[in-house]
Amino acid sequence: MTHHTSDSTADASRSGAPGLLVSDGDGSCAVRVDGVTRRFGAVLAVDNLSLTVRSGETLALLGPNGAGKTTTISMLLGLSAPDAGTIEVFGAAPGSAAAHAGVGAMLQDGGMMPGVRVGELLAMVRSLYSAPLPLDEAIDIAQLGGLEKRRVDRLSGGQSQRLRLAMALVGDPKLLILDEPTAAMDVETRRSFWHAMEGFTARGRTILFSTHYLEEADVAADRIVMMARGRLVADGTPAAIKDSVGLRVIRFSVVQPGVAGLEALPGVVSANAHGNRVELRCRDTDIALRALLAARADAHDIEVAGIGLEDAFITITDGIAA
Amino acid sequence: MRSYLALELRRSLRDRRYLLLVVGWPVAAYLLFSTVFGSAADRAEGLPPAIGIMVAMAAFGAMGGVLMASGPRLAIDRQIGWLRQLSLTPMSPARILAVRLISAMALSLPAIVLTFITAAVVKNVTLPLWEWPVLALLISAGCLPFAAMGIVVGSVADGDGAQGLTMVLYLVLAALGGLWMPVQILPSAMQTIAKTLPSYHLAQLGWYVARGAAPAIGDGLILLAWFAGAALVAVAVSRRLTLRTA
Repeated sequence: MTHHTSDSTADASRSGAPGLLVSDGDGSCAVRVDGVTRRFGAVLAVDNLSLTVRSGETLALLGPNGAGKTTTISMLLGLSAPDAGTIEVFGAAPGSAAAHAGVGAMLQDGGMMPGVRVGELLAMVRSLYSAPLPLDEAIDIAQLGGLEKRRVDRLSGGQSQRLRLAMALVGDPKLLILDEPTAAMDVETRRSFWHAMEGFTARGRTILFSTHYLEEADVAADRIVMMARGRLVADGTPAAIKDSVGLRVIRFSVVQPGVAGLEALPGVVSANAHGNRVELRCRDTDIALRALLAARADAHDIEVAGIGLEDAFITITDGIAA
Repeated sequence: MRSYLALELRRSLRDRRYLLLVVGWPVAAYLLFSTVFGSAADRAEGLPPAIGIMVAMAAFGAMGGVLMASGPRLAIDRQIGWLRQLSLTPMSPARILAVRLISAMALSLPAIVLTFITAAVVKNVTLPLWEWPVLALLISAGCLPFAAMGIVVGSVADGDGAQGLTMVLYLVLAALGGLWMPVQILPSAMQTIAKTLPSYHLAQLGWYVARGAAPAIGDGLILLAWFAGAALVAVAVSRRLTLRTA
């Protein structure tokens, strides 16, 4: 079994510019969040969050609704200020002119100028940056080809979302921040969205996106930061996240349905059955497997696997909620 | 910044309903009033009705164009999140506001020009050639307080509310400011109120020039004071423009 820890992940991604004190983003650090707290009335939306995003990373901010993802992103963009703690974006204050020049953002509730055409809007936004992408390239990446003459208020949901993406990246930002970019997209559109994004990640840019789709974080990100109730609960590669939960599963079929007694086996945390197929979540699959074979002669088609990201997510957030 | 200004203007000129309202209304009102009252002797402002009413309707249309191009649109742009999106670009909030102010000011011109053309063509109004551009630019510049008021309205009211508030503001300023009828026919208490309003002084500026006289400094100063006051409030409340709606 390969052993992942969050430390080894961090080392791998730090290798870009070792020992360099860089604040302009071409080196090691795109975003530095230190002890940030944000309250809305009695609700603690973000609770003592510390996080460093390194240049070149594609980082998924993963968590259920209300985890504090959007609040965190608004603070990164300078749209709201933390109650405590500090945030730096390329060494500058979020919302400062310096930060805005290097950051492109796609907001969940970011609107588009009414009454104008796609091409006009993109060309205007492009003109606000000093070293933007060629217009055609932004249109290509966002797959907006053929829609340049369309009025922005006549776009479908998926097309609007691609235009938001194009507006976010037309300035060729060093850091792209996307708040739930694929929410409300169907599976096919979501796939083509991330396919489009590959054109941008290939340029070595830093991307931070939030999502509550686990598969998406697993597939699109090389680092996952999991949030629940405003706190960071896990940080690492998708594989490290799964391992950090420390759980594996044994699945097998039985002749006689029923899971009675299985939870009591050594090494087993929980047991549940779907018809004749049983799944045991285990702390130690070696011990559990031996006990299982001794206890249930009818167990067959046995497989031992790592826990899925979704299960890891539930396990971790349950731990926070408890 | 210039490309954003250009796009804002293009957006306005494409909005046919808006143009019909801000151009059609003053032109139609001019034709009506100047026909009904056209046989009267000189009006209170000492001008033939065709000219006096032309200046009043140009001011009325200019004020409407500016008010409606700023407040309601700003409110919508704020509500749909466009201003927030825009505030994430390197363009500073001050520049965004400047573009909105300038583009609103520019939309004083269509109503002025079309009212003048209507007056010249239909009512055979003639003025010394230099007076036309001076009059147009003076009325346009005199709309500054309304552009600042629009930014206040757009910052504090939501889409529909801003539309309604703008319309009330527009009609009250027009009626009490003497753009529809001379203030002299109002009760004296209301005359006192009228003489504090920017719309009243905007018309006064125009009438001076139409009489071939230099505009009084006092009218200009009062308009400037209104602009300063509204701009101060606008700067204070415009922070709301990029805040989250949720």
